[in-house]
Amino acid sequence: MKVSIEWLRDYVNFDLEPKKIAEILSMSGTSVERIIEQNVGVSGVVVARVVHLFPHPNTSNLKVAKVDDGERLREIVCGAPNLREGMLTALALPGARIQGFGSPIECASIRGVKSDGMLLSPSELGLSEDASTIAEIAGKVSPGERIENVVPFKDAILELEITPNRPDCMAIVGIAREISALLDVDLKMPVATFEETGPDINNLIAIEIQDKQGCPRYTARAVTDVRILPSPLWMQRRISACGLRPINNVVDITNYILLELGQPLHAFDLQLISGRKIIVRKARYGETITTLDGIERQLDSQTLLIADIEKPIAMAGVMGGENTEVTAATRNVVIESAHFDATSIFLTSKRLGIRTEASSRFERGTDPEGTAYAARRAASLMKQLAQGDIAKGEIDIYSRPWQEREIKLRGKKISVVLGIDIPAEKTRRVLERLGARVEGNDDLMVAAPSYRGDLEREIDLIEEIARIYGYDKIEDTLPPGGGIASGITRTQILTETLLDTLVAQGLTEVITYSFMRVSDLDIMRVPPEHVLRRIPVLLNPLSEAGEAVRTTLLPGILRVAQINQSRGIRSLALFEKGRVFYLDGESSVINEKDSLCIFLSGNVAPPSWIEEDRQCDFFDMKGLIENSFEFIGVRDLRFEKGSFPWLLEGRSASVLVGSREIGYAGQILPEIGESFDLDGEIYVAEMLIDWLADMPGETVQYRDVGRFPGVKLDIAILIDKSIEAGRVLSAILDSGAKHLRNVRLFDVYEGERIPEGKKSLAFSLEFASVRRTLTEDEAFLEVKKIIRVLQEKFGAVLRGKTPGAGENL
Amino acid sequence: MKEIERLKDISKGRDDLEQLLNNTLDIIKACEDLESVTKARISILGKKGTVAGIFKKIPEFPYKDRPLLGEFGNLLKKVAEQELDSKEKQIRAAIREKKLAGLAIDVTLPGRGKPLGRRHILNMTIREIVSIFLSLGYRVIHGPEVELDYYNFEALNTPTYHPARSLQDTFYFKRDDPVKDSRDDVLLRTHTSPVQVRVMESTKPPLYVISPGKAYRRDEIDATHSAVFHQVEGFAVDRGITMGDLKGTLEVFAKKLFGEEKSVRFRPHFFPFTEPSAEVDVSCFACDTAGCSLCKGVGWLEIMGCGMIDPNVFSYVGYDPEEYQGFAFGMGVERIAMMKHGIDDMRLFYENDVRFLRQFHV
Repeated sequence: MKVSIEWLRDYVNFDLEPKKIAEILSMSGTSVERIIEQNVGVSGVVVARVVHLFPHPNTSNLKVAKVDDGERLREIVCGAPNLREGMLTALALPGARIQGFGSPIECASIRGVKSDGMLLSPSELGLSEDASTIAEIAGKVSPGERIENVVPFKDAILELEITPNRPDCMAIVGIAREISALLDVDLKMPVATFEETGPDINNLIAIEIQDKQGCPRYTARAVTDVRILPSPLWMQRRISACGLRPINNVVDITNYILLELGQPLHAFDLQLISGRKIIVRKARYGETITTLDGIERQLDSQTLLIADIEKPIAMAGVMGGENTEVTAATRNVVIESAHFDATSIFLTSKRLGIRTEASSRFERGTDPEGTAYAARRAASLMKQLAQGDIAKGEIDIYSRPWQEREIKLRGKKISVVLGIDIPAEKTRRVLERLGARVEGNDDLMVAAPSYRGDLEREIDLIEEIARIYGYDKIEDTLPPGGGIASGITRTQILTETLLDTLVAQGLTEVITYSFMRVSDLDIMRVPPEHVLRRIPVLLNPLSEAGEAVRTTLLPGILRVAQINQSRGIRSLALFEKGRVFYLDGESSVINEKDSLCIFLSGNVAPPSWIEEDRQCDFFDMKGLIENSFEFIGVRDLRFEKGSFPWLLEGRSASVLVGSREIGYAGQILPEIGESFDLDGEIYVAEMLIDWLADMPGETVQYRDVGRFPGVKLDIAILIDKSIEAGRVLSAILDSGAKHLRNVRLFDVYEGERIPEGKKSLAFSLEFASVRRTLTEDEAFLEVKKIIRVLQEKFGAVLRGKTPGAGENL
Repeated sequence: MKEIERLKDISKGRDDLEQLLNNTLDIIKACEDLESVTKARISILGKKGTVAGIFKKIPEFPYKDRPLLGEFGNLLKKVAEQELDSKEKQIRAAIREKKLAGLAIDVTLPGRGKPLGRRHILNMTIREIVSIFLSLGYRVIHGPEVELDYYNFEALNTPTYHPARSLQDTFYFKRDDPVKDSRDDVLLRTHTSPVQVRVMESTKPPLYVISPGKAYRRDEIDATHSAVFHQVEGFAVDRGITMGDLKGTLEVFAKKLFGEEKSVRFRPHFFPFTEPSAEVDVSCFACDTAGCSLCKGVGWLEIMGCGMIDPNVFSYVGYDPEEYQGFAFGMGVERIAMMKHGIDDMRLFYENDVRFLRQFHV
């Protein structure tokens, strides 16, 4: 909301720079977003009266006006449509300087007639955007008066952010009240007194409220015989400064009061109201109204409507109708000053997508007690500025009167919440300045004013006291903290460490959006009944790309890889840890779990002066997974041949921890890579890591690593190519060989000198005892055991000599 | 060297001895490698060497000359030994030096191995924020990203018709079963604050909790908006917690995160679930409150929202607001990372260009 400081000074006295007052407001909760300094430089401009008008001899577009500048008559050429005899306007005398004009105004000949000065538009005076008319000056002003005495040109506009709980601050008076409390000075409310010179209002209009829920109060006043003119310059300037467009005196007055008091008003042309009756009711299905912005709107049965006996004439609290608009032809006016239900206006405004100055105030809650005052204020201004006669009396239907609420405020509670003591006198004064009624001494009974619906409880009052007194006066202290309960959990440590070990192995973490296209799973060839198809779909996605939340991190990481590849970065080692979501079986409950996805492509390291380039492969993926899980103490991590539709058959593995399958690792199918615009060999893995929470929290118990040297023996065996190395390794470990400390597979060979269909595996075996030095012969005995097991299980044939003895097995 | 002086003395005026001495010293001097030292040693000190020759010749001289000659021979032997040893040492040192010089490498050549990766800058920022609160005695608790309307809005004192609850701002899930009660609507949490309710519901005070995580809003993605973003929520509930405690805590936090020289201020604000509420500003990095383009002339940068937990929230979780008080705060991780590192486009975080990500370090 925009607020003029010049206008504020009507209600509260302060002598502070705009920057200072902005800071005071900001530090009390009314955030000032911007300060717009206004200073329209004018000199040599005076008020002048148009005495005579005659046509321009050489063109029908212009006229020649004889104007009185207070000293003498001057002839001025002008083409404004609102030029008329008797009016007061702004005259730039020869030599006048006006901001925006490069040089001073001079006498000039226009189409053969000399113009002895220039009549100015509101736009040229910097008052509004209106450049098509000349400025019209109203009120008790004489020709010759300097224009800067009539209109204040120097002002500062504060752009405020009003929080939703403070509709009272969407008004100049509301901000003035804040300043009055903050500076501890008096607030002067605008006057609204007048004589009622018109007919009885009840003879002019009747009001019927059918929807008392939607309209708890409706106040109406009528003004007859108004003269529709432009409003006075000062009013135009204030309205424009606060962001509204001046229209005519009657409409401007309603807007002026909306800005001043925060009470939206509407003016109807009485003549156009059928049956001289205003009915407040819900719209009927199929009804339409053309609003003031010229748009025809379909109404539904939830919309609150202002109607006459024939037709809708306004959308209550949102916008008036074109059919009863105040125009130049209007003579008699009905002023509507109502209190509408906030929720009803909020919903209507949302549903129809219209937000107006009126609706934005009603939807937050206007002052139920303020309608009659606002109507009186409008009537008095219409009498003053549009020479109308105010009808006798008012119609005020107040079906649900506001109830004053008393709130108990304990002096002790203030210090318990804020941590400081505030003098009782200060507390009382703050609340009174804010408009509350206060009784008592230490413990107070506080009645909040009707415009502060947000003050319901003791804590609400404490906040008021704190923010006016100043948050900066609250002393900084520290609470004791959580003691034994503080810190991070074991699961959090495991997870973070796991990710850090990936980083230590060269992987860079990425974060992608949690959304997914359902069609990504089609690209991945995920079959219909697969668990990844239990997709939670959004009701209101932003786009198709975000139609659901992800059941897998894979598409996201592939897109990241694609962006990087397209920028020429082909060697990538990435991971993401994030939530995946899926519908839980039959029920519609959405489960979420932490998942870890890894992506490898290109070279394992950047080209080097010392090392050979090497492409990453499956075993890079496997190795880094093994390293990371080993580092955090995961046992029984296994890779088994697996089959996944998006992975290359024969280069894919299930990843298991014990008997739990946690995910997969393997090479992605080249066609799927291509669908994501990726090329080259790509290795991916995705594993759930939610089970880290179930890992037993064991403390490692020390094991004697032995001081005695062991015996290292190598064996090579020949077995069927189809037998997996992992099975052979397990068989060796499970062979029952004593003192076997370490087994390392160091060679796999097929080809020359190896029979067709066979392969050679070479193992390095280490035997050692923690108690003594083992003899070679003892080790040979154990090796024999192992070889026997391998023969029995896999039909293995030993290559070369038996280590040691050389005897036949 | 006394010996050399004496030798010169003795040989003075005797050409044969003088020549012998000079020859011997010259031979040693001329040695350039270990081989020539060995040769010289033999030719001087060997059985048929110079020194032996002197002693062999002594009987040929008159008695009175013999002691002097004996002395000459002994001294020459001693001097030659010393000179040869020192020469050998010199040569050996030179050889070693030469050998080591051959091992020299260019230490400015790049190191071996593959470079380390990086944690994502958002997670590095979260870690930094969380570690400060850990040092103040907080614990970390994570909450679900898929939430019920009840936890995301209602129990946080957000009225049914609050603008934030509309379809425009919140992602809701499609459901087959018609939901009668809007509290059962399932949505993506719009902030991390529901964690407050979930933790308080299941745990008794004292509570000092920090909860980082993702949140979602239905914003079109641009330089300053993201449908997915990260927040860090924190709250403390205990007996006698005051607004002074809130201010003190966040002052310590802001100075630790942004630098001790920064100023911190608390501006009254409005949030449905705290009362009194505040926004926290830190003095502008670029102008230190003078006003500049970074802070849009304000002199301060907003970093987070906070306040005393509203008694209504306590009543949802069954805490007695007369017994317990608490404060809560929440901050946007992207915003803080952008401020700290001068990042001007939020999309960079989610684009994940590795060259962008690898710029940051701990």
